[in-house]
Amino acid sequence: MLGRFYFLASLIAIELVAGTAFADAGDRFSREVAMIFVKRCLECHNERDASGKLVLVDKASLAAGGDSGPAVISKDPEHSNLLERVISGEMPPPKRGVSQKLTAAEIDALKKWITEGAVWPQGRKLDLYEATTEVRGGRDWWSLQPVRRPSIPTNAMLGTNSPIDAFIRAKLDTVQMQPAPAASRATLIKRIAFDLLGLPPTYEEIQEFERDESPDAYGRLVDRLLSSPHFGERWGRYWLDVVRYADTCGYERDQEKPFAWKYRDWVVQAINEDLPYGRFIEQQLAGDELSDRSEASVIATGFLRLGTWNDEPNDADEYKYERLEDMVHVTSTAFLSLTVKCARCHDHKFDPIPQTDYYRMAAAFWPGAIEPRGRELLGGPTKDELGFEVMGWTDIRQPPPLRLLRKGEPKQPQEVVEPAHLSIVPTLSQPLEPAPLGASTTHRRRQLAEWIAASKNPLTPRVLVNRLWMNHFGMGLVRSADNLGFTGDKPTHPELLDWLASEAISGDSASSSHYSSLKRLHRMLVTSATYRQSSLHPKQDEYAQRDSGNQLWWRAERRRLEAEPLRDRMLFVGDDLDTRMTGPGFKPTIQAEALEGLSQKDAAWKPSRAEEQRRRAVYMFSQRSLLPPLMTTFDSSDTTLPCVQRPVSTVAPQALALLNNAFSHERSQALALRAMEPEEGLLAQTVMNPAPSEKSVVDREDNRRIRLAWQYALGRDPSSQEMADARQHFEWQVAHFSRTQSPTQDSILPRAGIALHLSANEGVTRDEEDCVASWKDQSGKNHHASQPVASRRPRLVRNGQRPRSSVQFDGRKRFLHLAGQVVTSQAFAIFAVVNDQSETIAHREIFSNWDGAGNVGSSLFFGMTGTNAARLSDDFSGVGQVSHRSELFLLSGLSGATGTVVQQNGTDLASRSSPLGPRNLKGPYVIGQQGNIDGEYWNGDLVELLIYDRELKSDERDAVNRYLMKRYGLQSSIEQLRDPRFLALASLCHVLLNTNEFIYVD
Amino acid sequence: MTSQFPCRQSRRKFVWDMGAGFTGLALTGLLSRDGFFERIGYGSEKAAVNPLMAKPSPTFGRAKSVIFLMMNGAPSQVDTFDHKPLLEKLAGQPLPEGKKFTNSGGRKVGFLTPSFRPFRPGGQSGLMISDFFENVRQHADKLAVIKSCHTDSHAHGSALVAMNTGKTFIGRPSLGSWAVYGLGTENESLPGYVVILDKRGGPISGQPNWSSGFMPSTYQGTLFRPVGDPILDLRGPDFLDRAAQRSQLDLLARLNDAHMAARPGGSDLASRINSYELAFRMQAEAPEAVDLSKESKATQDMYGIGKQPTDEFGRNCLVARRLVERGVRFVQLYSGGGHLEETWDAHKSIETNHGQHAGEVDRPIAGLLTDLERRGLLDETLVVWGGEFGRMPFSEGKGEPGRNHNPYGFSMWLAGGGAKGGTSYGETDEFGFEAVKDKVHLHDLHATILHLLGIDHERLSYFHQGRDERLTDVFGNVVQGVVA
Repeated sequence: MLGRFYFLASLIAIELVAGTAFADAGDRFSREVAMIFVKRCLECHNERDASGKLVLVDKASLAAGGDSGPAVISKDPEHSNLLERVISGEMPPPKRGVSQKLTAAEIDALKKWITEGAVWPQGRKLDLYEATTEVRGGRDWWSLQPVRRPSIPTNAMLGTNSPIDAFIRAKLDTVQMQPAPAASRATLIKRIAFDLLGLPPTYEEIQEFERDESPDAYGRLVDRLLSSPHFGERWGRYWLDVVRYADTCGYERDQEKPFAWKYRDWVVQAINEDLPYGRFIEQQLAGDELSDRSEASVIATGFLRLGTWNDEPNDADEYKYERLEDMVHVTSTAFLSLTVKCARCHDHKFDPIPQTDYYRMAAAFWPGAIEPRGRELLGGPTKDELGFEVMGWTDIRQPPPLRLLRKGEPKQPQEVVEPAHLSIVPTLSQPLEPAPLGASTTHRRRQLAEWIAASKNPLTPRVLVNRLWMNHFGMGLVRSADNLGFTGDKPTHPELLDWLASEAISGDSASSSHYSSLKRLHRMLVTSATYRQSSLHPKQDEYAQRDSGNQLWWRAERRRLEAEPLRDRMLFVGDDLDTRMTGPGFKPTIQAEALEGLSQKDAAWKPSRAEEQRRRAVYMFSQRSLLPPLMTTFDSSDTTLPCVQRPVSTVAPQALALLNNAFSHERSQALALRAMEPEEGLLAQTVMNPAPSEKSVVDREDNRRIRLAWQYALGRDPSSQEMADARQHFEWQVAHFSRTQSPTQDSILPRAGIALHLSANEGVTRDEEDCVASWKDQSGKNHHASQPVASRRPRLVRNGQRPRSSVQFDGRKRFLHLAGQVVTSQAFAIFAVVNDQSETIAHREIFSNWDGAGNVGSSLFFGMTGTNAARLSDDFSGVGQVSHRSELFLLSGLSGATGTVVQQNGTDLASRSSPLGPRNLKGPYVIGQQGNIDGEYWNGDLVELLIYDRELKSDERDAVNRYLMKRYGLQSSIEQLRDPRFLALASLCHVLLNTNEFIYVD
Repeated sequence: MTSQFPCRQSRRKFVWDMGAGFTGLALTGLLSRDGFFERIGYGSEKAAVNPLMAKPSPTFGRAKSVIFLMMNGAPSQVDTFDHKPLLEKLAGQPLPEGKKFTNSGGRKVGFLTPSFRPFRPGGQSGLMISDFFENVRQHADKLAVIKSCHTDSHAHGSALVAMNTGKTFIGRPSLGSWAVYGLGTENESLPGYVVILDKRGGPISGQPNWSSGFMPSTYQGTLFRPVGDPILDLRGPDFLDRAAQRSQLDLLARLNDAHMAARPGGSDLASRINSYELAFRMQAEAPEAVDLSKESKATQDMYGIGKQPTDEFGRNCLVARRLVERGVRFVQLYSGGGHLEETWDAHKSIETNHGQHAGEVDRPIAGLLTDLERRGLLDETLVVWGGEFGRMPFSEGKGEPGRNHNPYGFSMWLAGGGAKGGTSYGETDEFGFEAVKDKVHLHDLHATILHLLGIDHERLSYFHQGRDERLTDVFGNVVQGVVA
């Protein structure tokens, strides 16, 4: 109420002045002179900064004059110092050599005013920021005025029930322009899926949406997407940019900030759960001070900890002021889109933010861990101070008074500034209350948060809805989304902005819970016709001439995918995307060449396991001294300063990255493999190496694969022209690769050092039930396998195809004993051709010498974990996800001086450069369970088991892999990489991933 | 009004030009938004339709390119370019009490220690240069040595960032980014701003040292390797030879053309199509730039290539010459990488440390100056030499041969590119401890470097979040005394 009253009062004041403009020459001061002083003089002649000791803010200061005596002599302009100097052009002083001399009219007004007696109305005090001028914004600046809900233009409501469209169309109507037609269904579902989830829809989803003719099809789609957990990942990333999120401190040591990722997870969850915006603000600024404080709300205060942190600043004691600036800057940018930090050294040059305001806000952070303390704390509070093992912020002291710093310099402290709110909206500006009795913190941040979240704060809702608009539409209604101040842009549709802002504030309560559901706002925006219109307009050329910046929103903006959705999409289309949420970030593989930028390059970067790297990019570990080139090339944010909107560049290094980076080729190959997956169990092998007579079969299969590649990559079928072009490319590449790729090497099994060799096709003695009573070891070492108890014998299964026979374990009780100590050397290699039919989440083993009595933890075993990862004993367990496990595959595990590796079908699942820790190698050994514990039974086929009692060199290992894979017709990347048809298909897929259609969203 | 706040008039679509190479300048809209053309006075908005076109010669400044020889770790001024004979006399005495300083790292404070190598006059000018740089001394008449440099931090991390960006905290655009932002590039196929690191590792703080900060990443420095493939992702997997890739690009062009035909007015799409062709060319041209086999044996010898300990830095210097010859705007070479004694950070021993590092760079730098001069490139190539700060005139303990960090006074030199050769500018006190006469802050140094490139540091600004940001913030004066 007070706010509105103030606003009205000032309106009235302005009108009164205007109304008397020609009526009363005696009020020349109010009418003309005051604004000359405000605009042209006060910058240097104010109370804080009185150039020549002259202050021109009120009657008394004018009378007092300055160093050169009185500025004005009443009724004597000839001898008035002030007039003389402005006439000569000495004042205002030239800027960069450019004269700032007053206009003749201004000089004339001053002259008349002095002649008339230099009347300065009693009690009138001038203020640099009282009104907007040509050079700076005042407190009457548009974004600081109360949000008022405008009426919706009714004449534009025809054909729409969306107020958004009404505002947009009303303005288009005024210039006789029409919005673009609605985007096609296929375009729309792609747009909305990338917009809300950062992921593409599948081919099937697109088809289904195109077929669904019900009027609420789109609304249901939007609701489904808004409730997907991927929504928080997509929209959380925008916020992470704003809050300069990274996982490390930056600077020399660039230490990891433990648990920074919990903050990232908090953001994703807050968005998914539609945390009310007021709570979103409060928890991040003061989650530790809330009455319902929780671990989550303390994690949210990580907001204040995300800045860079230098453990070796030039002056540790002065460094706290840099940190204050970081916190003021991130807070005022994130929530208010104001550049409060500019007022650290002087009154703001453009916005009504006096220098004291900066310190008022900074005082909120002053009681925290801002003074230098132990380096290990990384500039934050201790775990005990926080109450949780998280990265957060809290007050740790009753702070000394905070003093304003002259020119922002720590060595020039001035007067004490009491904690208070910014003065931009005087009715909302008041000193902070002392903390309630018994409070353990100062409650300054809580009050700051309440002020920001207050429904009367005019900036918060405008900033919010403008950012939502920007991320949905590509640009904000206020283009400068990080700055709603004087040097920012004005809104293209001020009424629409305010209408949306008023929608964002659902109530008028001073409590923080008045913000509307953000998902409701999202829904409102994306269901508007303005959002759903095509990015192409029938009158594209004409309209582009008239409004090249699309200020009137006559079409949708085509958008280039940002780094993250681009990377995610590449993983998605090959069915490789790992959608696990939360937890510590993964480290992507970075080319060795790019690591040269680090000062400690050896220890610096250890990429995560391959399958971890297939998670969404929002879970990528962000190290400030080494941001992944693939991401930065595509304009990912810099992490040192808040980034509200990323630039979108188009440069050749992006093309180089997508053309040549290993990641791009891995994704292309994954896509090719996916497109090659056989139809109805048809073995891919038959097509890989066809007989000449089968040409038509092959052609049909190639066409099918190409079509699938299109569907997976682009969500649509190729046109006939595209099909023809693709075929031509494919054939050319097949011919080319057939010439250039050397044939596969022969596969000869190394014989030396084989300790055990079991093959289901040889040496199996069956009982009456077709179960395995004994199984002859072919190695010559006599480690024969057997099972005396009939009910525990695995079954021998035979069929007409390869493999002809397999030994089938049931996952419950069947296993085999091995004779003697199979492995005697700490270096060994195990190869097993198996499949895994397990449906439990339990561990299961192929081969083991576990013995509860003597080698727990040091036994040697080989199998899989409950999460389908490989394990080579306890020392290398859960290391790499086995894929397509129900089909036959080769699992290899090797350990020796050169390191430890587990492979599936000849491709590394995981490796490390050290051998396994020493194993207790004593027998007995078993097959199909975990040693003697009567548990962890294998469930699936074992076809061949081959164990070497020595270290194999990598070429020997590859030879064994090739031998076994060839024997059982298993696919391997080694084989495929040489197969011309595979290469040609991967090449085609690679082209698809580079198309504009893949990189842009209409 | 417009010229003061161009940002308010038209913005902000961040579309970048026609697939421009590494440093493609923005479309007019962005430039006018940033006030660049108006401020720098290189032409009106309309004239800037092709932002890569040659710009009218500036009215001052001769340098087209900069080669910044970054002596990472901080060389000692009193052992190289700042001759302090008084130290001989005062050897073993403490620095007078009145001299206040931060003792970086809390190391032992020892006694005044004279230069570890004798100084001798070089050239006509007779500039005094120590035997650590006996080959560079031959070029004394080309050097403008600034002996009164001072900076804002005694710690490597923040001082390096300050030397590169003007501020001790990370996040601001680096000098090279400003140069490329201001002047564009003359070779689309190569990055406009190249950084070549020491093989031993990168500088402390890493990437922020060549970051473009709040400017688009287009302006960031590109790490360049002096052998083989100089930049990332220049080569795909082995099976994909050039013919196979050409076939891919042909298909890509057909698919993209059809896509674009259905989307009239898609300049963003056209730009990306062009960027692929440019990338394809770069794959051949960029390795050529570092292919030293085209250089004669005599040239290679001049740089100390093929001999130790000069081979690596010699190669880097020769690559730098080849790059500026090809129109690269800004090249930064690091001497010293990783930590401690692998850099110029001579805490243990000036003799050993500087003996090693100066031994590695002295001949190559001299070779570079000779080569630039004989090819007529020196006049348009500004060579900058120096570290992030200097070192103390006293030891780290009685009889100890190392020196601690010193941000209060140190030497840097400029050569070529309009710098006034044979000049000694500014002075430290009689101990070589702090700058006392004609002090040059690194903002002044930056202002001077931009000036020599024909850029007024007060007018080269980038509009960021409501403020016209400058390399020199609100500081910096051109050091006219070193401008020819």
